[in-house]
Amino acid sequence: MKAKLAFFDFTGCEGCQLEVLNFETELVELLNHVDIVNFREAKTESEDNYEIAFVEGSITRESEIPKLKKIRQQAKIVVALGACACLGGVNCLKNFRPMKENLRIVYGDAAKYYDTIPARPISSIVPVDYYVHGCPIDKKEFLKVTKALLLGKRPEIPNYPVCVECKLAGNVCTFDKGETCLGPVTRAGCNAICISNGRHCWGCRGPVDDPNTNSEKEILQKHGLTVEDILNQFRIFNGYLEVSK
Amino acid sequence: MENKIIEKQNMAPFVDNLINAEAEVIGPKRKDGKYAFDKLIETGELCLDYDTTLLPPKMYLFPPKETLIKFELGKEPEVEPVVEAKPLILFGVHPYDIKAIELLDVAFSTTNPDINYLSKREKAVIIGVDCLNPNPNAFCPSLGTATAETGFDLMLTDIGDSYVVAIGSSKGEQLLTKYAETREASQVELAQRNSERQKALARYKVTLNISPEELPQLLDKSWDSPWWKEKSEKCLSCGSCIVVCPTCFCFDVQDDVTLNLKEGERYRQWDGCMLVDFAAVAGGGNFRGDKESRFRHRMYRKGKYIWERYGKLGCVGCGRCASACLAEIASPAETFNRLKEESK
Repeated sequence: MKAKLAFFDFTGCEGCQLEVLNFETELVELLNHVDIVNFREAKTESEDNYEIAFVEGSITRESEIPKLKKIRQQAKIVVALGACACLGGVNCLKNFRPMKENLRIVYGDAAKYYDTIPARPISSIVPVDYYVHGCPIDKKEFLKVTKALLLGKRPEIPNYPVCVECKLAGNVCTFDKGETCLGPVTRAGCNAICISNGRHCWGCRGPVDDPNTNSEKEILQKHGLTVEDILNQFRIFNGYLEVSK
Repeated sequence: MENKIIEKQNMAPFVDNLINAEAEVIGPKRKDGKYAFDKLIETGELCLDYDTTLLPPKMYLFPPKETLIKFELGKEPEVEPVVEAKPLILFGVHPYDIKAIELLDVAFSTTNPDINYLSKREKAVIIGVDCLNPNPNAFCPSLGTATAETGFDLMLTDIGDSYVVAIGSSKGEQLLTKYAETREASQVELAQRNSERQKALARYKVTLNISPEELPQLLDKSWDSPWWKEKSEKCLSCGSCIVVCPTCFCFDVQDDVTLNLKEGERYRQWDGCMLVDFAAVAGGGNFRGDKESRFRHRMYRKGKYIWERYGKLGCVGCGRCASACLAEIASPAETFNRLKEESK
């Protein structure tokens, strides 16, 4: 019996689902082992007899909450897909402004027709079994998690900072180049792709289980960032976390 | 040991000959204001006056990720060992890295010989170069690793217009005869080599205030020192120190399958005691679940455990860890000196 998979999206750019569709060759191979019964971005027909649900996007409206709970009720396994679902992601930037103001800025005169609540990760509403981190997700990691689920294994997701993969990639440390970086507290698994391409880590994969954020803050300050700069860095993807408040 | 001279203008043809004729040649190249070992395409890329490299040359003998076996699952699983080794010339290796490789040679051949490492090692030629511009965090003279008498096939020393070449093996001698234009070294040139080495010793900025032989005893007395907690507070558990270390040889083993869920491989990848999950076990336990015990463990490895087990130093004083540590806590010299102070 093939496992039945479903994809759902809440508030987000839908880029992580698009990444899954970008897997083309691998996706076809994957279909030997699974039936994808619900995937709005890819197919019209849908069924609600899924066992594994991949959920993309953060929760930013009251109306999304019962929908998410229904998915949790049906699925044996819920996997958060991407930074918005895992962390709340960039949507949490709005949490630092009154919700009414957000509505006014976005919808102007039509604001009265919409509701919005502070953005949050799906784990704040329902229990989540596994996470595929990143903005967007990484193909290899998505496949790693999916294969592990199909084999009944626990996926091995790194619980060490990006620095490990960054050093292995042979990069000169961002701090040595006179810039700053969230790599020392951010969960690895991306192969330090941003730093290897000349940028710094923005923290899109969220923190490791036990990040030393005090030490990171001290280091950022030593390298010229003010407390406000530091908060702004953390808030880009991790606004939902206590450390960003 | 026999010594020859290669004039500087003859160095480029020598390296070019090795690149074209012999094997893959790996050497230090510039990288964003630092240096990194990488495959040489042409001699011009080679920087023999570097201070240190981002990663140690051990990565060519003990790759960060390496397949150990391939398998196919089924009623009777098929298992095939994977051992990959090709001829390799490591060109421009500093003495401290040579000492580190000598430790790996012992560690990987003791008890259960590691076929993957040993096969690569057997096919590797090491052409060393004396380190005359040490990294500011290095303390090699305190550990006797500023120069090396063994562990290389050839060892170069820059004496101005030429290099003195010490011949360490017949393999090294053959390469020299076949590909380099050399002449005998004069007594004056050998004296110059000594003087260059002496001058280099004065350029080291960090000194260990204890002889390495005394370290195990010092650490024995220091288990309960307040230093471990105090200093490790800032540890990011980011693993930078263990990834850049030339002597660390711990690894983790994982299985992976392809999308047909049948064929797969077992691979190993570098792991290290400063990472949170290194000592994690089934059931949720962790033998070193706090920063303090991980920090202490690493220092004990460097100054005591490895020395006692393999008779060689667990640290060669290259200073890479201290340079890589954003929290500025990783230098073994700082810890050992502090413990020495405490013990007085």
